[in-house]
Amino acid sequence: MATTTAAVTLTSDLLSDNMSVSASTTCMKAGTTADGLDQMEYGYVDLVTGDEYDLIANTPTATKASKLYLKNHSTDETYFIAITQNSQAIGRLYGGDWMFIPADFHDAAGDIAITANGGTNKICYALFHEGITLVAS
Amino acid sequence: MATTATISISSDIAPGFGGVTESMTLTQAGNLVDIDSTSGFQIRKLSATDAIDLVTMANELVEPKDSVSAKIFIRNIGYKGVIDKSVGVTIGIKAEPIGLLYGGDWMMMPLTCIDADDITATPATDDTVVLEYVMFYEEA
Repeated sequence: MATTTAAVTLTSDLLSDNMSVSASTTCMKAGTTADGLDQMEYGYVDLVTGDEYDLIANTPTATKASKLYLKNHSTDETYFIAITQNSQAIGRLYGGDWMFIPADFHDAAGDIAITANGGTNKICYALFHEGITLVAS
Repeated sequence: MATTATISISSDIAPGFGGVTESMTLTQAGNLVDIDSTSGFQIRKLSATDAIDLVTMANELVEPKDSVSAKIFIRNIGYKGVIDKSVGVTIGIKAEPIGLLYGGDWMMMPLTCIDADDITATPATDDTVVLEYVMFYEEA
């Protein structure tokens, strides 16, 4: 089986004692404990200000699993991308920020959309998923 | 020290994919000042398929600033050492499902912290499952 693992280490000194959390997971297909995600897209794009863009063009069906990694590689900390899903605002990624979510591309309107602010943002993304077939041209 | 998060992704799906290792320091919006508030590390035990508010923004003791650089870490840790990767909990914002967090899975997501944008959790089954989470945000 294909194997994709995602690990995180989170530390903070905002509490009275330092907090440190580490986690690692193997990304599996929906509803299974034995078969890993086996498809992926990986890209790096410039995102100009003005319009909202769908980050991922393809739309896996609701019964499939997906994981989305997204990082704003802009070096200017005032730049950010605003992220929405199905018109619901999720949040902002400023220059240097990343996110990792179990994306639910549950319908055609569920694609994750991004909008650049401040200037042209540089975006790196990776979508790990299953079950996509190409559409005939 | 500050608040930092490092992600490492490895995958053998695509030949030649070298993986991802990236770190970020959680800062306030538009500058390099460290983020200054947190919900603290919390757990929530769920035993029904009802949707619940994992985070009710209006109830935070320290009022979060809206639409800036907040983030939340959530992990499905199963229950009493049993982690079932075949079932999970749908994490959402307001009424919008973001994605299904299977047993053992974790997520790091930016937030608006707007009062209406509560973080919801909806288990797929009534089997007991525990979510651990921590939110970082700017004080309003």
